[in-house]
Amino acid sequence: MHIPDGFLNTGVSVVTGVAAAGAIGYGLYKAREELDERSVPMLALCAAFIFAAQMLNFPIAGGTSGHFLGGALAAVLLGPWLGGLVIALVLLVQCLGFADGGLTALGANVFNMALIGTILIYYVFHGIKLLLPKSRSAFLAATGVTAWLSVFLASGACAVELAISGTSPLSVALPAMLGIHALIGIVEGAITVLVVGVVLAVRPDLVRTYDYRPVAAGLGEAEVSG
Amino acid sequence: MKHVFLDEYSDLRSPVHQLDPRAKLVGFAALIVICVSTPPDRYAAFAAYLGLELALVLVSRLPWRHVLKRMLVVLPFILVVAAFLPFFGEGGGSYNLGPLTLSAHGLLVLWNVAAKSTISVLAVILLSSTTPFPELLKGMEKLKVPVLLTTILSFMYRYVFVLMDELQRMRRARDSRGWSGKWFWQSKVIGHMIAALFLRSYERGERVYAAMLARGYGGGTHTIYLYEFGAMEVGFMVMLVLFPLAARLIS
Repeated sequence: MHIPDGFLNTGVSVVTGVAAAGAIGYGLYKAREELDERSVPMLALCAAFIFAAQMLNFPIAGGTSGHFLGGALAAVLLGPWLGGLVIALVLLVQCLGFADGGLTALGANVFNMALIGTILIYYVFHGIKLLLPKSRSAFLAATGVTAWLSVFLASGACAVELAISGTSPLSVALPAMLGIHALIGIVEGAITVLVVGVVLAVRPDLVRTYDYRPVAAGLGEAEVSG
Repeated sequence: MKHVFLDEYSDLRSPVHQLDPRAKLVGFAALIVICVSTPPDRYAAFAAYLGLELALVLVSRLPWRHVLKRMLVVLPFILVVAAFLPFFGEGGGSYNLGPLTLSAHGLLVLWNVAAKSTISVLAVILLSSTTPFPELLKGMEKLKVPVLLTTILSFMYRYVFVLMDELQRMRRARDSRGWSGKWFWQSKVIGHMIAALFLRSYERGERVYAAMLARGYGGGTHTIYLYEFGAMEVGFMVMLVLFPLAARLIS
């Protein structure tokens, strides 16, 4: 879903670029406010974590594999603005380091995966959480649905941007992108639920959005090793 | 352990490697903007951009294998999003190729995205393979990118290799216990690995912060900037801006 250079027209590049820069700027402001000087090591380690986790392939069927994206995970673990900032950092390093995602499309990629896939999705998650009973399993169910939606909506936004730019017609690009990512999203949802479940069991204090206390399974910090 | 290096070959010595990162950042960004905004039917202009880049690859002594391998990154996106366009597009006449009908407009759009993404990706590869990432960040800082952002990125660069090693150890431990993932439901192991990686990353972050405080960290880092913006830099930027612009106007 990393759009390369040359696929978007000037209008789309500029509008998404301005929105992305605004979100990163506000994210940095929130980071300074919430984490003060801790923000440097904590955000760097979280971004490096997402970066590394995206390199881990998981099997889908008969030997094909996909990789984890992590937008919803970042939103659930870190909240909207820090999570969005972390995803934007990952995209920036992928763009400059691997040429994965174009320089003039960086704004659009940040817009799709950080602004929609993480920041907007956090508020969706918040809404789903309000509708469900306050329990650990409901929290995990909300996490799974959110992770699926995160991938689905981000890919839809990508298709719309390509259509506005006149690259590929919406009638073809939108169903194709949504169809592929509806499947990818299922795996993303399952993995995100597993990850959040383990973190909740071992260090519930690290899941910023989990506000139901006490946690059912009473595993302490002593469980973490290494 | 061996793994993907972000700025592989940036430690070579060549005239391009020795330039001030600011000149390369601005120069390659300008080249990409000029290329992306060129109308698709200026074929000679695209040939000129590519020629300039290939000359720079030669001068910088980057291995061709590395450059070509990195360029493959755009291929999947072109295949998924644009490869079908000649068969669907409308208008602008059409060509018959045996039983297939190719639309001229669709072909032009495919050429447009393929040419522009290839040339732009080569520009970014030239930038990242001739500039060590920390130097690139210092260059960005000199160009008024917020210091908080570049500091976080430099820490990220520092620790991404550590976490990749961590991941590789976990993967080796998993595989040595006979794991062979073929199907979706075997992904449970991957979920647990990612969770373990997150906990270790976060706790490492806490330890790093404590260690920084113990060494008197007060919110900033100070490093020496070894580059000077001299005649070479000016010449390089002029070449990367004026030559493509001229090619675009003439073609």
